[in-house]
Amino acid sequence: MVAVQHVGDDRTAGNAARNLRNRRILAHAAIFVILIATWEIASRLGWLDPLFYPRPSNIMRSFWLIYVQNGNVWYHLGVTMSLVFMGFIGGSVLGIVLGSLVGLNATLRRFLKPYVIVLEATPRIAVAPLLIAALGFGVTSKIAIIVLVCFFAPFINTLSGVMNVNAEKLELFKAMGASKWQILRKLVLPDAIPVIMAGERLALTAALSGALVAEFIQRDQGIGSLILVYTRNLNMASAFACIFTLTILGFLIFRGMEIIDQYIAFWKHEGGRDRVSAKRRAAMGPQT
Amino acid sequence: MRLQQAIADDIVVSGRGVGKTFANGTVVALKNADFDIKRGSFVSLVGPSGCGKSTLLRLVSGLIAPTSGQVNVHDTPVDGPRSDISMMFQKATLLEWRTALENVLLPTEIAGTPTKADKKRAYDLLKLVGLGDFAFSFPAQLSGGMQQRVALARLLQTGADILLLDEPFGALDEFTRERLNTELMRIVAEIGATTIFVTHNISEAIFLADQVFVMTSRPGQVAKIIDVDLERPRPLSIQTSPEFNALVADVRETLGAV
Repeated sequence: MVAVQHVGDDRTAGNAARNLRNRRILAHAAIFVILIATWEIASRLGWLDPLFYPRPSNIMRSFWLIYVQNGNVWYHLGVTMSLVFMGFIGGSVLGIVLGSLVGLNATLRRFLKPYVIVLEATPRIAVAPLLIAALGFGVTSKIAIIVLVCFFAPFINTLSGVMNVNAEKLELFKAMGASKWQILRKLVLPDAIPVIMAGERLALTAALSGALVAEFIQRDQGIGSLILVYTRNLNMASAFACIFTLTILGFLIFRGMEIIDQYIAFWKHEGGRDRVSAKRRAAMGPQT
Repeated sequence: MRLQQAIADDIVVSGRGVGKTFANGTVVALKNADFDIKRGSFVSLVGPSGCGKSTLLRLVSGLIAPTSGQVNVHDTPVDGPRSDISMMFQKATLLEWRTALENVLLPTEIAGTPTKADKKRAYDLLKLVGLGDFAFSFPAQLSGGMQQRVALARLLQTGADILLLDEPFGALDEFTRERLNTELMRIVAEIGATTIFVTHNISEAIFLADQVFVMTSRPGQVAKIIDVDLERPRPLSIQTSPEFNALVADVRETLGAV
């Protein structure tokens, strides 16, 4: 930043900041264009095998094909997203409920701990074929796989969230003569919300990966199977278009969870605090 | 006979042979404390770390039970937290997801459903501690001193006539602490509450109190009870008067003698 010497120099400082930002955006754009151009040129000159590394121009054409001309990607995208959604909800509910139970019950915790450690050490995805064998091909086993891979983060975070209650706050509640139920509802659960939300963010990302693995195995529908089909037909440009679709999806999921966190764990965000503070003031009316 | 005496003296908190040990009796936190605290009086517990002052406060609050002896509040033995006692800690311990006003209302919510009058009272208390404009701010939007003011308002919200404060302003800077101490003195005098105040600062203990319990460690015990006969209201400058310094010397002597 440019140091501001005089109070009257606000406009100059603002211009300088804007210039700096514009220069940075320009630099980013330039690097991106150079990267894409290099890829395109390398592919056209035969430095990259176009069979495995399709040209950016071809990938763009594939985007047009699968989204507009054929429009076939929408169906698969819908299938994958509904799988992710259902598996994520299932895994979250299971994780939060079990995490609370185990976190609040010392006896349960003692007996379950070894199994939790074993489960944590096992790559959950390895169990996927067993789930398919047990539940058969179809939506049920796919959702079961997603539940399995995204259950753990909410479970562990809820567990540690409800266990690590601030000792001073607990003493305050006891001094006020609060019941166990009041301590749970007014202290333990709200206190754990930010940690649980962090677990939910991890779970949603895991759910997307879980859905892809489930579709790779079952190869009937969804973005995962679509990628398999395109790769087997050596239609790499369309496969890349699917992968970049997932990139965008992953980014949107990440941003979406951030926005949800602003509402649910609002007190952890400056913007959230300001918004809720203003709302509560308005709700109280003219008395203040 | 003793009951008659208590009513005559208007004693609200008393202890007889109160002792507390931890770790199966190997650590003596407090030994054989006898004391009577009069209605509306301000008592400071002063002493080094490990002298049992916080233990004594928790015994009165009912958070912990004595290993020997008995604590009485309003002539009934203390056997758990009670509604006529309100407590405040060194840290503000506010709930981050509640506004200042909602934090002040917490004790009322624990006791039942807050009425409109309760909300009005909470808001008036925030005004009393100088935070009328911050009723809807969250703890993260308040400074350390302001957070402690919210805790002070919460302490008063219960309407309890016995206030227990465990080094309430100990984590704040000197200037903020002095200002809050002055306000605390004014407020408890106004509502006529009986106050027990834990501190490790000798001047602060004397400045605030009607009676100073000087406590010494190993084992923790009440070594001496000193009456502070300084007129009220007390200006900050009283701390340089000869009477004040004589009291400081008395406390220091008691602390040094053990």
